[in-house]
Amino acid sequence: MFSYIPMFGIIIAFKNYKISTGIDGIFTSSWAGVTHFKELINDYNFPMLVRNTLVLSLLKIVFSYPIPILFAILLSEVRHVFLKRFVQTVSYLPHFISWVVVTGISYAFFSSGFGIFNDLLISLHLIKEPLNILTDPNSFWGLAVSTAIWKEAGWWTIIFLAALAGIDPSLYEAAEMDGASRLRRIYHITLPGLKGASIVVLILTIGSMLGGGLVGSNFEQSMLLGNALNSEKSQIIQTYAFTIGLAQGRFSFATAIDLMQSVISVFLIFTSNAIAKRVSGTGLF
Amino acid sequence: MRHKKTTEDRVLDAIISVILFIVVFVTLYPFYYILLITLNAGTDTAIGGMYLWPRQFTLGNYLYFLEDPKWISAFGISMLRTIAGTALGVLFTAIVAYGLAKRDLIFRKSYFLIVVVAMNFSGGLIAFYIVLKSLGLINTFGVYVIPGMLNLFFLLIAITFFTEIPEELGESARIDGASEVRIFTKIILPVSMPLLATMSLFIGSGQWNAWLDSAYFVQDERLRTLTYRMMQVINQTMVPSGEAQSAAMSRSSVTPFSIQATAMIVSIVPILGVYPFLQKYFVSGMMLGSVKG
Repeated sequence: MFSYIPMFGIIIAFKNYKISTGIDGIFTSSWAGVTHFKELINDYNFPMLVRNTLVLSLLKIVFSYPIPILFAILLSEVRHVFLKRFVQTVSYLPHFISWVVVTGISYAFFSSGFGIFNDLLISLHLIKEPLNILTDPNSFWGLAVSTAIWKEAGWWTIIFLAALAGIDPSLYEAAEMDGASRLRRIYHITLPGLKGASIVVLILTIGSMLGGGLVGSNFEQSMLLGNALNSEKSQIIQTYAFTIGLAQGRFSFATAIDLMQSVISVFLIFTSNAIAKRVSGTGLF
Repeated sequence: MRHKKTTEDRVLDAIISVILFIVVFVTLYPFYYILLITLNAGTDTAIGGMYLWPRQFTLGNYLYFLEDPKWISAFGISMLRTIAGTALGVLFTAIVAYGLAKRDLIFRKSYFLIVVVAMNFSGGLIAFYIVLKSLGLINTFGVYVIPGMLNLFFLLIAITFFTEIPEELGESARIDGASEVRIFTKIILPVSMPLLATMSLFIGSGQWNAWLDSAYFVQDERLRTLTYRMMQVINQTMVPSGEAQSAAMSRSSVTPFSIQATAMIVSIVPILGVYPFLQKYFVSGMMLGSVKG
């Protein structure tokens, strides 16, 4: 119900809607055609928004997708059961922590005023002036990607570890008998064993790319880590729609932005699924 | 596989241990550092250079936190919404899933289509806001709980789970004259504990961590949640406009930053509290999800 009724709301993207008219207003307000979409494309912020959204999403895929796989392989090579379990438990702990807390932690570390990171670098005489990691637009992408990895990489490792658990141990024994070294065993047994899971996860990642992919929330990050000073790099389509819509009351315009993103996402899911099917014969649907 | 170690083995093991140590350190140290800030006098923390243990040990930050009615009420609201939201969400999702798991349900395929489309396509936040407003949920406690009652992702997982329960289980009870409700509560739910535990953990942590609804769908200060308050303080401390704040808090060694850290610890602790109990379930729960996609 809370997913579907808002879908009727899409109509307001094509209309001149005012909040005072309530739900009825969605159907009674006058048609605006594609005016709001035109307005969006002509908006001077538009190129910046698209660039930020795409770059942030792509960076996250490139850097966050391989890490859980590598980490899973690493963990699978640990013989000590207790150690393995301990490291794993620790690694997915941040997944359950709110983005708000993660943001707070980033401030405690990277703030130019009281951040421990700058503190340390200065006392080691690596830098003279504190780095403005939180407010410098140029460091926002790096900050967003690294905090995202910190928070979610351990969590996605679970899926790959489960895939590894499904590999028949006799394969390893046979390879060892034949004199294969450990690296060779990883290369010839572990990696092929991860193929299925990797593809499924890659489809999921690309499908949810605009939302931030595996490591979650572009929106929350841009809302929380973004600020007036770094907005030229942190403002993305979704946050723009949100601020425009709720703060300025331009509901139709904001919905047009949301709708565009939704359509692109659905398109991405189907394309990535189709490509995966063709390349490897497996897909989600 | 127990045999003598080759040089390659030793080198690999060493590299692996070093990497794992770094991973554990990078994950845990931020938490430890935040804890450190809360146990140190805020004015002293501001000087900087504290890395491993508190320099001026104090419980002042926690005392300040406990004395502030704003924080206490935020904590209460967060607790309440987490408990109510989780209980209702898990129960409601399980009931719907149980119904949809029945193979002889009419229009079963259409229901599935509705769920899958809704999962992947949304009307956007603005349209969502308008619906909430027309339903009169804006600025009420209900806005925290009601929209999340049916969790679509877990609905699909629960349906898969329920269809795997042998039908004979319910069948025999039905022959003995048990009602549908009784079968559901006395037979289905008890065998679904792993599922219910996973759902509770995820819906619960989602509820506990949510801040957006409190920030934008609620204006009543008494309904603000802990995460929202934290966000507020973080936004204040971020822009270093020092004077006003330090003047307001000059009566003690507490600074906005140390209070912010305290709030963070307070919000992490409940999660750490339930984590060990539910941990053994969610790995399998995660796999249920991944199979289904």
